Amino acid sequence: MSRELEEEVGTAGLPTGDLTLGQHVGSGEVPRYRGGSRTPGWDDAVDLTKDPATIPDPSTCHVPEDLRAEIEAHMAKYPDTRSAAIPALMAAQKRHVWCTPEAIEQVACVMRLTPGYLVAVAGFYDMLETRPVGRHKVYVCTNISCSLRGADDLMDRVVEEIGDDPDFNVRSFECLGACDIAPMISVDDVYVGPVALEDVPTMVAQIRAGDEVLPEQQIIRRKSVDPNAVST
Amino acid sequence: MPRPEPQFITFSIDGREVQAPANEMLVDAAKRGDVEIPVFCYEPKLGAPVGACRMCLVDIEGIPKLQTGCSTPVKDGMVVHTQTKRVKDAQESVLEFLLINHPLDCPVCDKGGECPLQDVSFGWGGGKTRFIEPKRHFKKPLELSPLVAIDRERCILCYRCVRFSQELSEDYQLVLHERGAATFVGTFDGHPYVAPFSGNIIELCPVGALTSRPYRFRARPWDIENSGSVCTLCPAQCNVAFTVRDDRVLRVMARDNDEVDDGWLCDKGRFAYQSVHAEQRIVAPMVRDGGVLREVPWARAIEEATLALKKSGGRVAGLAGGATTNEEGFLLQRLVRDVHGSPHVDSSAGLPRAGLLAMGDPALQATVADLEFAHTVLVLGTEPVDDMPIVDLRLRKGVRRNRMTLAVATSRPSSLDPNAVLSVRYAPGAEAAFVAALSAAFYGGDVDTPARAAGTDAGAVAELAALLRTSGGDEAGDVVVLYGERVLAGGEAVTQPLLKLAGALGLSGRAGAGLLGIPAATNGRGLREAGVVPDAGPGLAELATAGADAAGIAASLTAGDTTVLYLMHTDPLRDQPQRATWDRALDKATHVIAHAGFMTEGIREHATVVFPAESYAEKEGTIVHPDGRLQRLRPAIGRPAGVRAAWQVLDELMRAAGVDTGLHTVHSATRQLFESVPFYAGLTVDTLGGKGLRWWEDEARAAAWPEPAKPGLLATVASSTPTYEAAATPNGALRLGTFKSIWASPEVEASPALKFLHPTQRVELSPVDAERLGIRHGEHVTVGGDGASVAAVAHLRNESPAGSAFLQSGIPEGAANVLEGPLVEIRKAQST
Amino acid sequence: MSSAILFKDIDQPGLNTLAVYRERGGYGDVLRKGLSMPREALVTELVNSGLRGRGGAGFSMGKKASFMPKGTMDKYLVCNADESEPGTFKDRELMTKSPHMLIEGMILGAYAAGATRAFIYIRGEYAQMADILDDAVAEAYDAGLLGNNILGTDHSLELAVHRGAGAYICGEETALLDSLEGKRGNPRLKPPFPANQGLYQGPTLINNVETLATIPHVLGMGADEYAKIGVENSTGTKLISVSGHVKRPGNYEIELGMSARDIIYGLCGGIEGDLEVKLWFPGGSSSPVLTKDDLDLAYDFDTLAKAGSMLGSGAIIVVDEETSVVDVCLKLAKFYKHESCGKCTPCREGTQWTVKMLERIKSGQATPMDLDIMASVQEQITGHCLCVLGDAMAMPVGSMIAKFRPEFEAYIEEARQRSDAELIASLDAPNEAPLVGSLV
Ligand SMILES: Cc1cc2nc3c(=O)[nH]c(=O)nc-3n(C[C@H](O)[C@H](O)[C@H](O)COP(=O)(O)O)c2cc1C
Ligand code: SF4
Ligand code: FES
Repeated sequence: MSRELEEEVGTAGLPTGDLTLGQHVGSGEVPRYRGGSRTPGWDDAVDLTKDPATIPDPSTCHVPEDLRAEIEAHMAKYPDTRSAAIPALMAAQKRHVWCTPEAIEQVACVMRLTPGYLVAVAGFYDMLETRPVGRHKVYVCTNISCSLRGADDLMDRVVEEIGDDPDFNVRSFECLGACDIAPMISVDDVYVGPVALEDVPTMVAQIRAGDEVLPEQQIIRRKSVDPNAVST
Repeated sequence: MPRPEPQFITFSIDGREVQAPANEMLVDAAKRGDVEIPVFCYEPKLGAPVGACRMCLVDIEGIPKLQTGCSTPVKDGMVVHTQTKRVKDAQESVLEFLLINHPLDCPVCDKGGECPLQDVSFGWGGGKTRFIEPKRHFKKPLELSPLVAIDRERCILCYRCVRFSQELSEDYQLVLHERGAATFVGTFDGHPYVAPFSGNIIELCPVGALTSRPYRFRARPWDIENSGSVCTLCPAQCNVAFTVRDDRVLRVMARDNDEVDDGWLCDKGRFAYQSVHAEQRIVAPMVRDGGVLREVPWARAIEEATLALKKSGGRVAGLAGGATTNEEGFLLQRLVRDVHGSPHVDSSAGLPRAGLLAMGDPALQATVADLEFAHTVLVLGTEPVDDMPIVDLRLRKGVRRNRMTLAVATSRPSSLDPNAVLSVRYAPGAEAAFVAALSAAFYGGDVDTPARAAGTDAGAVAELAALLRTSGGDEAGDVVVLYGERVLAGGEAVTQPLLKLAGALGLSGRAGAGLLGIPAATNGRGLREAGVVPDAGPGLAELATAGADAAGIAASLTAGDTTVLYLMHTDPLRDQPQRATWDRALDKATHVIAHAGFMTEGIREHATVVFPAESYAEKEGTIVHPDGRLQRLRPAIGRPAGVRAAWQVLDELMRAAGVDTGLHTVHSATRQLFESVPFYAGLTVDTLGGKGLRWWEDEARAAAWPEPAKPGLLATVASSTPTYEAAATPNGALRLGTFKSIWASPEVEASPALKFLHPTQRVELSPVDAERLGIRHGEHVTVGGDGASVAAVAHLRNESPAGSAFLQSGIPEGAANVLEGPLVEIRKAQST
Repeated sequence: MSSAILFKDIDQPGLNTLAVYRERGGYGDVLRKGLSMPREALVTELVNSGLRGRGGAGFSMGKKASFMPKGTMDKYLVCNADESEPGTFKDRELMTKSPHMLIEGMILGAYAAGATRAFIYIRGEYAQMADILDDAVAEAYDAGLLGNNILGTDHSLELAVHRGAGAYICGEETALLDSLEGKRGNPRLKPPFPANQGLYQGPTLINNVETLATIPHVLGMGADEYAKIGVENSTGTKLISVSGHVKRPGNYEIELGMSARDIIYGLCGGIEGDLEVKLWFPGGSSSPVLTKDDLDLAYDFDTLAKAGSMLGSGAIIVVDEETSVVDVCLKLAKFYKHESCGKCTPCREGTQWTVKMLERIKSGQATPMDLDIMASVQEQITGHCLCVLGDAMAMPVGSMIAKFRPEFEAYIEEARQRSDAELIASLDAPNEAPLVGSLV
């Protein structure tokens, strides 16, 4: 699930993704992403000019060879190939940045599932994006333990620093399982923390430059607080 | 798998001792003690309960937490309470939760008055809310498809609709997006939910979230009456209830008859009622006058027809279509045979009498429900979703719930392939060779020769034989062969090996196993039994002289040996193969008298007298389901002023020829029919009741089935090995296969809501052939051979067998019957 | 008493490699002994050790294994490494640093369950840890510790690491199974329990990372020895994750029965800024909160249960006196609202209603009566849902209202005055846009 849907009264037209990414094509009544795909959401009717979304036929759906191979490798790991849905969607997302309709169709074609099945799966999980996002994942944990240690301010600071850079996908995230380094951030799957407000510019610069992010604060390098703590 | 036998136990509910089958779900068992437990998500037709809505919480002694009655199987000695404060509080809580975001716009909601949410709120709710926050609001209603509107505010997320799409029809198009309170029902990327059974979600929805677009705001429950009948739009003959307001049909809903339809309807059955009130319907008699059909008074039309029949001097032929009732068929053959002395009557049964008797042997008949419980079902030469849609759901259910083994043998890739353990392809038109190969594989004969002729893989045939032989473990279990009667076009070359196979599988006399044929049209079986076949009378009685079949009639018309053709609900240009031949034949006929509801091309161009036909909502009479169930049609509405019942017209024509028919009402026709068919002996419309009756289940009636003239067809083996045409395709040409879409029917064409489903011609071919021919998916092409050609759009299918091309039949323009086959060539269209 | 068991070598460099793990005694006699015992004996050993599940519910590990039916059908072992309960991060430490301990535990656990296929369901966010596990699994395969005929026995085990994609509910065992089957992670109805019909309809044993990683140690020291650690009904050591306003947040291995005060003030060095404790969650954010009056409780399953809370996943979140209980409550409710799968009504609607009420309290539009409604909504959720996620919000929220009602009431009053003042100020400002609607 890419974004919590806002439910306040009045927001009848819920955000249906960043339409600035694409242009409006067609009649103008139906907002679309680049590539002609319609934006999905609560408040949208279906596009009656489309065909029903059945399992894509391999003779008409093109899947890049390496993606197909990766998905098939995942499928081979399980007694029931459908188990590979999440890994396969992840693989496609890596390639397309988010689970674009095209990405979903490609997975559907290889896995012999309907795109509907897969988009329902993708929509359920926080890390699978069903709307356009930037390439760099910056998940700021704002759950209880981190917020007790200043995560909300950190989130604001990160948003401020990154601004509207379309290359970023900044989100406040639920507990990431690293409250020992609160407040913490997962930057493209690398856990760092505690992150001070002053660290933010460095961190963002490192992401932009493709460098390692806050190496000293990465959890992977952290020692257990007190392995023999029982002995107090 | 054999059907389970229920064992009864005793449990206590609200202080009452109640007996119920062990493991029946509590909500169902409670009903036996007159206790109602409210539910929303529970719908046994959808499979195992999900326990999502929590409406059915009950108190079971010995279990600390309240339990969901929908998912708790009753056990002996269980003590259940549904009236305690704890339960009532829980029920009120759940309802309060369900209603906090529900708009309560009942006054403008289509469901109002027939809404489970209203009923349950009234019966079990607290009648108050403490929710003062703003409710969720969405735009409404929105289109979910051209047929269904969705109102997401009203949705209570009971999962029923998505479960239907995912677990019942298995189209997996309708899904839940997002999660938690943000969950909503929708489709992938704004694609419409279009699938053959999509309309069922309207009936399943327990609130007004999913409504029928054609029905929206047309009526309120207190304005309407429901009238039970049977849908005659295809051989499935699902039981329906017509919703009638002011003598107009406004809606069709399922009238559960599990043995027939399991409570579902296809979208044709659900929405094609619109054709009843369509403008283009023929509602007055017409006579050709100066080359054009003009409306005339009834007396004039009858007179014209009477005269034509008289002048023909017995050179008459009658042809009945699938929508013809038993009574109409019976009277038609009386008119042609008894009154005008001509033997030429047909309903395209496809087989001579001996074959019909052998294939229709009561001992060999399987039922629709058997498809669900058999060990193995072989789908042979049919695409159920097109030919008898509701059966598609039944087969999927068998595989899903009862682990039935499904095998498919067809020319065209089947939508059931993914559910089948084995799918075998053979070349279009090579049924005889294929069945011979299969039979040979059973008996250890020569498989290779017929397999090669069938264009199929001998290994796969052997595998199929092995599958059937061992379906019940070490031996053959209950096997049902579900075949499209089209395959019988091969005559004895098909029936002989098929019957032999049936013998080997022990299908004869075995409950839960047998053959089930899908006729080409709705009442195919009934017409046959009423004697609308060239070489048998009512009850398939032997005739002194056999008449011509449909093809023979065409030839006879062309040759001028027959001059008057009497068409009963059929247009040969659409329903028969060889369109050009029929065009010529109809042209030669001096008179074509037709009962028709719509001006299809053959009627428009060739009919000289047109009698407006009753719609299926107006008709009274009986029809026979493919599995032998006699069902009763009852009129839901009155006929339009200019329309008369066909039986009445036939009666008048017979009386005009000086015959005392003895008919007074349609029931007298039914009585005459039942009296003339020995295996219907003792039946009356009353015994059929609302759910019909399988005549062959009564031993005496089954015994009245005529013995085949050639005794022991079942046992005899064709003495000489037939020769098979090789299935190989010469350079460039492709074998022509045909299929008829569920949407190819005049009723669909006349229903505005279904307009978007009108099939247009497409040619399905394999990517291999497409590449060789340099044709891309979606490209306009010309399919032709022998001087004729049709325009089509190329449709690539990965599973399509190389060497074959498939075109649609039954469509108004450019149908497959324009081509004679068996080989065609495909070229890019001149101008795209 | 230095009884570190799981964490004994935790910071040993290279412990994540097979070589170092072996050097430290891993995959040795214990594994051999376990695989040579009759299956039933292994299960008995686990039962006798008193080892209770470390994932949250605290069910006897051995008993659960004993529910696995006999027979030749495909059986599965699933390791629950979803670790999404707020405040919990102990499994992460184990998997990052000692993945082979988990694998060894799973080999034995699978043997006890009669399973020949195992999966580690790890939350997708733990991508780094999943990579480490992948490497360790590959090493184990290469060394013949996974695959066919492990150590020459006739026990075989296929093990794969499966990454989730971000959903707290997938920690719930049946939702985990659906997710592992490639579906939306909705919990299933129980019964049937996973031991009868779990993954792919086959009998399935599901245990937490820590639970499984403990098996080799139970076997190593013997059930009776293991049972001597800790207190009655809560045997052994427990990894606890302490977070929030403590001076030294982190993972600790304690002997069950230690007092909470010793944990928070001893191990963790007390509260930041030397403030008082306002409230603490003893077992993750799903546990009803306790107050500073409860700090002398022994940290074990039964004592915490008796005190109206639970040990849960062993995650202690400490909140100091200066933090508003309303803020904590809202954070919590928002989390559960976001994570509710939406399948069942009370949880889906109850969590969002609670959030709406709390937001109204914050904006100054509430009255103390709303507290009654909120408390009653929590009661309406509790015990009525398909799984216990709904209860996991209702219980702590309910406990906060019950224990901090005066603070809630004061907050409501204060917020109301603040909002009234703002309203009046805006009416006084003549140039401001009209308050209600806009005519443009
Ligand atoms: C909402 C919810 C979330 C849960 N999350 C986890 C989790 O992240 N990790 C875990 O091990 N158990 C979790 N559990 C508990 C599991 O359902 C299950 O009891 C546990 O995995 C069993 O393992 P154990 O017996 O070893 O504790 C959760 C339960 C619920 C209801
Ligand atoms: S739309 Fe209707 S059937 Fe579907 S989930 Fe909502 S209430 Fe249930
Ligand atoms: S009817 Fe039982 S939970 Fe919905």
